[in-house]
Amino acid sequence: MKKVFLEGAISPEFIADSIAKHQGKHSIGAHNIFLGQVRADVVGDQKVVAIEYTTYEEMANEKLHEIREAAFEKFDLTCLHIYHSLGTVKVGEICIFVFVSSPRRKQVYEATEWLVNKVKEEVPIFGKEILDNADHQWKVNS
Amino acid sequence: MITVNYFGNIAEAAQSDSEILDQKSLDLGELLDLLDSKYDIRKFQFQVAVNRKIVSKQQTLSISEDDEVALLPPFAGG
Repeated sequence: MKKVFLEGAISPEFIADSIAKHQGKHSIGAHNIFLGQVRADVVGDQKVVAIEYTTYEEMANEKLHEIREAAFEKFDLTCLHIYHSLGTVKVGEICIFVFVSSPRRKQVYEATEWLVNKVKEEVPIFGKEILDNADHQWKVNS
Repeated sequence: MITVNYFGNIAEAAQSDSEILDQKSLDLGELLDLLDSKYDIRKFQFQVAVNRKIVSKQQTLSISEDDEVALLPPFAGG
């Protein structure tokens, strides 16, 4: 089982290091990356300052495994990586990193979009939006 | 014993992430009625997973000992 969940924000260094790790894979001709960043949504007279992510980890890992397998069936990919934060991620920080690699360009755009949609729709991840007055509300993907 | 896992706003209402019900077996509908009487869960939007697979709340499904039930509020990943 590939490790998806990381504690806290996904750092730019982690992302750079992931790119560097692919330089030895010479069948790859195209990478595509999606990065989701926590946005300071306005809620009434308050603003979101962070999201605290939790998951149903056993089910999430099973679902992510199915999604990975389906992606390799559907698209011509050399490799793919999905990382998602757990715990607190502040506004402006990265909470999801999807990294798709293929011999050629066309497939990576479609695969990235498909993967991000699947993660949002099917993986049991929950987000508590912390507001600047310390109240909170539960995020719902729209 | 049936394990029920709670997440998000439902975990807040139950004041717990998980509990073990001292029940041998019951229908999914009966289980949801029981949880509603304890935590008023029907005011929340949620899906149900049994043994980590989503099932319909209306489904006639017998929950037996050692099953793992989870109440899942709307997903918010990404």
